[in-house]
Amino acid sequence: MKTTRDYSHMPVQSPACRPYQPLLNLHLLIKSAAGGLPLSSSLAVLCLAVLCLAVLCLTASSPLRAEDNPSNAVKPAVSWHGFGTLGLTRTDNDNAEFVRDLSQPSGAGKSWTAKIDSLLGIQANIDFSPNTEAVVQVVSRFHADGSHDPELTWAFLRHDFSPDFSLRAGRLGTEFYMLGDSRLVGYSNLALRPPPDFYGSLVFSYIDGLDVSTTLPVAGGLLRGKLFGGLSPEDTPYGPGTTWNQHGSLLVGGYLDFLDGAWQVRLSHAQVRFNHEAPTDEFLRLLGDPLSGTPYLSLIPDMAIADHWARFSSLGVVYDQGPLNIQFMLNQIKQDSPAYSDSKAGYVQVAYRFRSVTPYLGISRSLTSREPLPNSIIPVPGLDSITESLVSQSYLDQHTYTLGGRWDVHKNMALKAQVDWVRGTPASLFLFKNPQPGWDGDMTVFSLALDFVF
Amino acid sequence: MRRFITLPLLFLALLNYAAPAMAEPVVVVNARSSVTQLSQDEVVNIFLGRYRRFPGGGAATPIDQPEGNPLRAEFYRKLVNKDLDQINAYWSRLIFSGKTLPPKSAENAAEVLRLLSANPGGIAYIERNLLDSRFRIVMELR
Repeated sequence: MKTTRDYSHMPVQSPACRPYQPLLNLHLLIKSAAGGLPLSSSLAVLCLAVLCLAVLCLTASSPLRAEDNPSNAVKPAVSWHGFGTLGLTRTDNDNAEFVRDLSQPSGAGKSWTAKIDSLLGIQANIDFSPNTEAVVQVVSRFHADGSHDPELTWAFLRHDFSPDFSLRAGRLGTEFYMLGDSRLVGYSNLALRPPPDFYGSLVFSYIDGLDVSTTLPVAGGLLRGKLFGGLSPEDTPYGPGTTWNQHGSLLVGGYLDFLDGAWQVRLSHAQVRFNHEAPTDEFLRLLGDPLSGTPYLSLIPDMAIADHWARFSSLGVVYDQGPLNIQFMLNQIKQDSPAYSDSKAGYVQVAYRFRSVTPYLGISRSLTSREPLPNSIIPVPGLDSITESLVSQSYLDQHTYTLGGRWDVHKNMALKAQVDWVRGTPASLFLFKNPQPGWDGDMTVFSLALDFVF
Repeated sequence: MRRFITLPLLFLALLNYAAPAMAEPVVVVNARSSVTQLSQDEVVNIFLGRYRRFPGGGAATPIDQPEGNPLRAEFYRKLVNKDLDQINAYWSRLIFSGKTLPPKSAENAAEVLRLLSANPGGIAYIERNLLDSRFRIVMELR
């Protein structure tokens, strides 16, 4: 364990903190929407255009459509929507940096920062017919490459074949867990941010692919199911200043929901097949190149992660009755590759609304299991401790107590204040960035946010 | 003596004045529809976009009163015991995750009646005193 320490507590390589400038990035938002998109985005847009045409051709001859538009002058109706958060976060501890989730390459320390929760999103809904709609959403937030460059988070075409059967194709938000596809929309959530113990390890925000959903009345309630599949167009922060290319990683999954009155219960499963190896060698170079340039996987091929699956299963229960809202969720993540630890997490959140103020309380827990480490094909001195330190980057053993309040100050605007007390072991590293040798697993996080929609 | 009469009268007049704010919404469908009654859960499913079908299977198109109309707040208060901020937060989750859109909001109370009378699959909530033969009550809100 002693030798582990030296690697697991990485040297300070924090990328320069950039000031938050979502508004300055507005021109970039517009630029990327207008055509300055990266290749994968262009592909998504191209797929969309083709689909648009296909569905339009299909629906143009439908008798329903003629009835809805007797004039036959079909003009898509465009509506604009937006959401955003102005947030401030600080902690009581400079021994590790607090992040909202692992898509952020660096986080908050003892001085206030706006980068954790602040963001701005703009969305256009284009109605081609009552049953066919395209949605394009662009978000500027602090993300994997350390910038606030706008990302195309949603860009899809939806067709409702009936009021209870829909198909969407294009770029789609991922919904690994309940509420997972609206994590960025602070206004829609009671708490200031989704509990990191539960949602923090989720680095996949969207896919280029398809989903289908259907709803059936069953036993006095509603049964709702969804299936999705697609390829990731994203990158994930890995070590300081390094990112793990996730382009082409396959994501598939689905869920079953049962809704009855105030109750909603969801069982869901999703899995990812990684398309690229993690940048282990690049990471080791940052740690002083202990293998003098020898590719790590050539010594210990069992640590490969490309073409291996990670499986996410979860149970979510929400009770939402008038002023009372209770959320309870459990998840389990199983990794086929030994490079990452398997984990379990859960949280409970209780909120009660008094006029325009909603105080809430939460407790969350995350824990990984330690499995035997793979052996090298030839004995190399010190290799086991390098392997141990790589796997230990994903260890978790902590719980968090949360106390906060939401105040709906004005229509479409909510002010929130929240304190999180993280209590963990010194080995609980996964959800923090740049841990230092003094890291003991405990941290208090103070946050303020103004959430809005327009 | 006179004062004893005028005071209660004044009070009554005030009560009467306050009456429109205490509006009583009733849930109605187009009279041409075959739907005769809906449960509270069915109305919730239609207006919150969970399942927009009538029990017989026909598609249901909900129509909302305009935002400024106190009937709208009263309706959601009685239907799900939530205020309009909570309803807005609910819809912002669905809008920004590309799911169901909220009911179409009419420009004014008269447009609600016009839209409903033109759409056999429509469903709306209106003030009871606006009821006429073009509409049928399918649920009372208490």
